[in-house]
Amino acid sequence: MIFKHKVFYAALLLCLGRAPVAAGQQLNVWAIGAEGKLIRQAAELFEARNPGVKIVTQGIPWTGAHEKLVTAVVGDMAPDISQLGTTWMPEFRAMNAIEPLDGFIKSSKLDTADFFPGARDSNFYQGKWYGLPWYVDTRVMYYRKDLAAKAGYKNFPADWEGFYKFAKALKASKHEGYAFALPTNDWQIFLMFYWQNGGELLKDSPLTAGKFEGAINYLKRFFDEDLAPLEGGNDTDLLTAFESGYYPVFISGPWMISQLETSKPLLNGRWATAPLPAGERRASFMGGCNLVMFKSSPNKALAWKFMEFLAGPEMQARWYALSGDLPASRKAWLAPALARNPQLSAFRLELDTAKAPPQVAEWENIAGNINDAVEEAVFGRITPQAAREKLSARIEKILAKSERQQSPAFKIYLALFLFLIPVCAVALHLRGTRALTRSKYQPIAVLFLLPAVLILAVFLFIPIVASFIASMTNWNMYGVNDWTKVVFIGLENYSGLLRDPVFLAGLRNTLLFAFIGVPVSVTLSLAMALALNAQLLKAKAFFRVAYFIPVITTMVAVAMIWRWLYNPEFGLFNLALGYAGLPAQGWLSNRWLALPSLILMAVWKGFGYNTIIFVAALQSIPESLYESIALDGASTRQEFWYITLPMLRNTAFFVIVMTTIGYLQFFAEPYIMTGGGPLNSTMSVVLYMYQQGFKFYNLGYASAMAYILFGLIFAFTAVQFRVQKKLEGNF
Amino acid sequence: MATVRHSPAYKFAFYAFMLASVVITLFPFVWMLSTSFKSPGEIFTKTPTILPQLWTLAGYRNLFAAVNMGLHLFNSVIYAVSITVLSVLFNAMAAYAFAKLKFPGREKLFALLLVTMMVPGQVTMLPVFLILKSMGLLNSYAGLVLPGTAAVFAIFMLRQFMAEIPEEILEAARIDGFSEFAIFWRIMLPLCKPIIATLTVFSFIGAWNDFLWPLIIMLREDKYTLPVALAGLNGQYNTDWGLLMAGAVVVVLPAVLIFLLAQKHYIKGIAAGAVKG
Repeated sequence: MIFKHKVFYAALLLCLGRAPVAAGQQLNVWAIGAEGKLIRQAAELFEARNPGVKIVTQGIPWTGAHEKLVTAVVGDMAPDISQLGTTWMPEFRAMNAIEPLDGFIKSSKLDTADFFPGARDSNFYQGKWYGLPWYVDTRVMYYRKDLAAKAGYKNFPADWEGFYKFAKALKASKHEGYAFALPTNDWQIFLMFYWQNGGELLKDSPLTAGKFEGAINYLKRFFDEDLAPLEGGNDTDLLTAFESGYYPVFISGPWMISQLETSKPLLNGRWATAPLPAGERRASFMGGCNLVMFKSSPNKALAWKFMEFLAGPEMQARWYALSGDLPASRKAWLAPALARNPQLSAFRLELDTAKAPPQVAEWENIAGNINDAVEEAVFGRITPQAAREKLSARIEKILAKSERQQSPAFKIYLALFLFLIPVCAVALHLRGTRALTRSKYQPIAVLFLLPAVLILAVFLFIPIVASFIASMTNWNMYGVNDWTKVVFIGLENYSGLLRDPVFLAGLRNTLLFAFIGVPVSVTLSLAMALALNAQLLKAKAFFRVAYFIPVITTMVAVAMIWRWLYNPEFGLFNLALGYAGLPAQGWLSNRWLALPSLILMAVWKGFGYNTIIFVAALQSIPESLYESIALDGASTRQEFWYITLPMLRNTAFFVIVMTTIGYLQFFAEPYIMTGGGPLNSTMSVVLYMYQQGFKFYNLGYASAMAYILFGLIFAFTAVQFRVQKKLEGNF
Repeated sequence: MATVRHSPAYKFAFYAFMLASVVITLFPFVWMLSTSFKSPGEIFTKTPTILPQLWTLAGYRNLFAAVNMGLHLFNSVIYAVSITVLSVLFNAMAAYAFAKLKFPGREKLFALLLVTMMVPGQVTMLPVFLILKSMGLLNSYAGLVLPGTAAVFAIFMLRQFMAEIPEEILEAARIDGFSEFAIFWRIMLPLCKPIIATLTVFSFIGAWNDFLWPLIIMLREDKYTLPVALAGLNGQYNTDWGLLMAGAVVVVLPAVLIFLLAQKHYIKGIAAGAVKG
């Protein structure tokens, strides 16, 4: 219904819309994160060389960049050129949003053979170029030279077996910590070992039998022999752990060089980079960003000129000087600043053989499943072979769900739906209102309701109906920008969800969140409110504000502190356990502890809100009630049970209902702290919905999840209303 | 509550408990403040100190150099203030109709509103975006603000509060010849001051901290709100934590200020709305 008038509104937009642009001479260019600011300097250089050209650059934050780009494509607001993460390329190609560049490349001096093969791969699909590499990154080993020397190693080992022995020697040479930081939830790290072992992805079969198991078995030894801990990685913790020698070795990208130099200056000279130990062959992960031209660009010739300028060897070398980004052009690496930097030689070596993940639009979804399978296998829950078979089956299923073409019947069904909804609403409405007499109506009510109801109708009811309809379609990334690829699939999403193990895990966790979180949070709020209300307490306003501060403090800051509290090496919690003589715990990495850890954090962040509601309710209890019961000689405890609690019943009900709704929609804490891991033990329904909807663009599937959750919340609330009614009778 | 005499030991224990709980809740806030004044080498250490050993303003200096603070602050204020003013007005009007006026289907419409609170908000984001697109409101303040100007939660709370106000007051006013709008404006709104203060804080803080919506609706960088502009300072992999925390402080302070100002009304407001939940 939204799309029908596309042409009309587009015309309207043209008439009313933006100011006319000086045709032919202006380019809109988007870049992400730090590049978003730095690209201005490259643009100025280009403008100086091409008088009359104006380049409008715009920066987008990394957080939300993916959503921003997709909505820009859907909203016909895409720029001429944008920076794009290498793993996002297939998606935007699937959305039919990016322009093939072969025509431009043919008539250009740009030498595409100059790009590293891995950088070329993410731009090249079925014989066509869809983008140009802008900069690359790849992974190498970072290690402490001094600690390696102490363990008897002057040089970093070159192969798998050598690295394993090195790790053993390192671990034996020190008192605490591990040999190697090896995150279990990072598919990029697993893929490198898999490729090194000779494995291939989506070639003939999804995974190479034997090679997958070999890579798992190699990695599993590090965990089983306590050379690496079973937990997810986090760069901020790494810096400190690297300094203390807790992790003398880790895998990371080029950005780590400047991070180490600025935040750990005392370590300078005591660490170095080394190529990854080779297995059957050398293979690192090829990351970085490409430049793409959008199909909607009105100025493709000029756009190409700017892209060619940015991707050429001359500018790539200059760009390194400006930003520290590694060039994708091999010629650019001949520049002295790059060729002579000893920390970069490991990167240069890996770049020749680094590989990019396969070019399928469903890659993000597949990557998530790789994480799950690898985690399950290294935790020893299933055998490596079972993990490979399970993962292969998942990958095949994900790829099978791809593109479909709409049939004419779609519009009939849609019309039927849209027709039935108002009919049902009117029917339901008529059933109950006959009893009222017309004379009592106050027509003026319509005027009072109009603004709010109109806004809610347009921006809440219609979207809810739309998403409900979407939950019965296959709406995915192919349909995001192309309406004709959306097909009705009945209840397939719902039945699929009930067989989806991640969703079921999410459902179980969500219920646990609510069953543990709500009572703890509400009881704590009530207790703190009673304390705040105590006559004994002076400076009440100060305490109220203090309890409310966690509610308003930004999540980024909160997450940073809680990460530190939960840090396995030096976090406050493990420090306390150590003083008590208890063993340290992996608060966020142990699958039994991770969920309670997040609940604790959520309770801390949210209890102040309910506390203030209770305080207010306590203040509204008439003093006279307490006075009369005091005359009868009641104790403080009796006052609480016979006056305070019954008088708080309605407030408590309100608070419990709202808090339950909130906890059943649990999202922020797992999103920011664990991403749902380990082993999906903190995955919540809304987090999974968000991942499916906004990372993988399975919008139909995500909508179906929302409605299952809706049913659950509805049932909970209905039960709570029932219980409330029953209790009311008892007092 | 009847006055009770407490032993000094009880008093001591009580205050110790209260102070401990305040330390726990204020700790991250203080931490954020102190980190914003620390040098990069001091931010991640095994044994962090509460106060910076070497105070530096580098985080703030970098922040003000990298971000056009005036412009983005202005955008944020426009966004938060217009959403707050409009939503309080629209929600209060609707709540008045639900609480005090009679019209067919009143209870059903209200129940329908309550049910929509149970649908997770994330699923409606893309449809709302498409609707705004079809209305030609993308990249405009109208498109940014409009969807947030009516909220079911607020209507619910306001209605609960208004329902408590005795019917007699309204009847007397009607007899005196007041129109419904005059009653709403000159009697209801003043009586609802506490709850309005509450909702002002909620919608202000909500809009102030909002990130994803302003990011996807606003096309041009010069229309970014403060949180969006600040998020642009993070790298994909590396983060300048001093700068980030300085940014967090700048964003949080106005929110704290609003809470402090509204704090007295705020307390009364929620109580009245919630007691008859």
